[in-house]
Amino acid sequence: MFKVTIGITSLLPRRMASSSIQASTTLMRQHIFNSNTKLTISHFSTSSILRHGHLKKPVPGEELKVTFVLKDGEQKTYEVSEGETLLDIAQGNDLDMEGACGGSCACSTCHVIVDPDYYDAIPEPEDDENDMLDLAYGLTETSRLGCQVKMSKDIDGIRVALPAMTRNVNNNDFK
Amino acid sequence: MIWRRHLSTGQGYKKISIVGSGPAGFFTAYHLLNKSKIPIHVTVWEKLPTPFGLSRYGVAPDHPEVKNCEETFTECARKFISDKHHKFEFIGGVEIGNQIKLKDLLKSQDAVVLSYGCTGDKKLHIPGETDTSGVFSSRNFVNWYNGHPDIAQDPKLLDFEWSKVKNIGIIGNGNVAMDIARILLSNRIDAIWKHTDISSVALECLRNAPIENVKIIGRRDFVHSKFTNKELRELWQLERYGIFGKIDKEYFHDGMFDLSQFDRAFKRRVEMCSEYLKPFTQRKKNFKKFPIPSPSDVYDKRTWELDYLLSPIKINKCPQTSRLESLTLSHNKLALPENKVIKDEEKADVEYPMDLLITSLGYAGIPLEEFNALGIGFERGHVANKQGRVLTTTNDLYPKLYASGWIRKGSQGVIASTMEDAFEVGDRVIQDLFVQPSTTESFDINLGKIRHTTWADWERINRQELKNGKEEGKKRTKFLSIEDIMNSIKS
Repeated sequence: MFKVTIGITSLLPRRMASSSIQASTTLMRQHIFNSNTKLTISHFSTSSILRHGHLKKPVPGEELKVTFVLKDGEQKTYEVSEGETLLDIAQGNDLDMEGACGGSCACSTCHVIVDPDYYDAIPEPEDDENDMLDLAYGLTETSRLGCQVKMSKDIDGIRVALPAMTRNVNNNDFK
Repeated sequence: MIWRRHLSTGQGYKKISIVGSGPAGFFTAYHLLNKSKIPIHVTVWEKLPTPFGLSRYGVAPDHPEVKNCEETFTECARKFISDKHHKFEFIGGVEIGNQIKLKDLLKSQDAVVLSYGCTGDKKLHIPGETDTSGVFSSRNFVNWYNGHPDIAQDPKLLDFEWSKVKNIGIIGNGNVAMDIARILLSNRIDAIWKHTDISSVALECLRNAPIENVKIIGRRDFVHSKFTNKELRELWQLERYGIFGKIDKEYFHDGMFDLSQFDRAFKRRVEMCSEYLKPFTQRKKNFKKFPIPSPSDVYDKRTWELDYLLSPIKINKCPQTSRLESLTLSHNKLALPENKVIKDEEKADVEYPMDLLITSLGYAGIPLEEFNALGIGFERGHVANKQGRVLTTTNDLYPKLYASGWIRKGSQGVIASTMEDAFEVGDRVIQDLFVQPSTTESFDINLGKIRHTTWADWERINRQELKNGKEEGKKRTKFLSIEDIMNSIKS
């Protein structure tokens, strides 16, 4: 098991940030989504979806799969319907993802890092999403906002990681 | 309304008080209530009768989506007010440090989190700043158009001759400065404001202003601009109403920066400015989403301008009326290696004629009066702390006291960063409560005859505001005074 510790880039001076974003993206590729990496046993928990009213129950035969890599490295896979956003799916399953602006693309609290294998299959982000991603902690080249990514057949099986907010070395903490 | 109550002294609950009900305070409460395994009783204190702080009185009225965090807070309050495991309480209209002393609060609670934000203004400290008609701080101006009861009906703003306001200077270029520029420039565009919860008396004043130009003045250069890309984009996009922006070539031109040195946000900012400064037809498609009117269709020409490397040195006013006439500024340059701002002696001072000056230098944290006596550390505009745990004046941990949000770090960051901060501090409170024995002293806060509002009172105020708004075709009509707020829950 491993712990993803990104977010450090936001602490660096602006001029240094860009190269470290690339570095952390490479790390991502190596660690989060590498199928050879030993991960905790994935849970199939389609039952929990039923608890939550606002997620539609997928039509049998039309289920789409999505896997979340949690902050501690654990993976959770869900079967969902087309059109659900990653934010709705995460919140419907009590994962640690906030939508401070209620999923209206006005904050960056639902930041996810998409497996590069799936990134290009998602429709490109609009300007307003990019403006918010600019402010996200631990931004990578495959970062998206969970509220803007809708499940579709094109991204069936998508894997996304929740960025860990390990800001333990924040300058402010030493002030 | 309930006039006399005690803070309940429920057995078995760890008691936590949070001072301030803005995003920092409410996100701290939200996190504590959602994460604590041991039963807790959270009390959120608020100086005003109404909750939500800067979300209600700071966020621009045309950014309602940013206020959606209020829904999360409301859901949280409703859930935990009648929860089996935890308790939640909101007490509005009571100022900690005034009607209730922080010292007493600390005695009665297992933990106290200071989340009261930054309640003062950073100042220019130049002649004319405080005694010139037409000079306002951004905090006052924003609170005014958002209907904050402290200033919503202030004669200094209501009686100001808005009909004479053509040229405006805004000092500072953070997002608050951008909000103010946007509101002033679009003051007569009903489509933007009609349905928002902007204070109608403020809007009526602002509409009178025949605004021509807004200068947004920074003391550093383009690279050090404080605004985020979203707010800058919104200004550029006003071109669809015939409101155009510019930046002097000296401060910004194509190819000026070695972009490989910069982060993604800055690269996008450069691209945005380069594109919007081009003629419409020559731009990439993302930068011509909204058609722009032809000059002959625009009856009142308006411009805004990003201005850089200038420091205000003197506010000039009419000796008879004390009305603002102009602002004198000196040129700056940045000295390497640390980009320190120094005066550029080679350039002569400039004088900008202006009718309205808004100082938007940031909000200043103000210590509570009791801090001195209690030995609580306070420096550089925020409470001295280590990871949210408050420090004494001698840098030791202050028992049971925490800080989150702007009063912990200074007035920087958007709601999302305040949320992260609140969650981190919340985690530390939970961590400490686990190991710390419960308050042995059985001290009870007595609200006595102190007039205050409860969460149920706020729900009534809220319903009334929404109803009044609906009748006027608006999202909400805020009550503009404490008296009106309290009257709405009298019966």
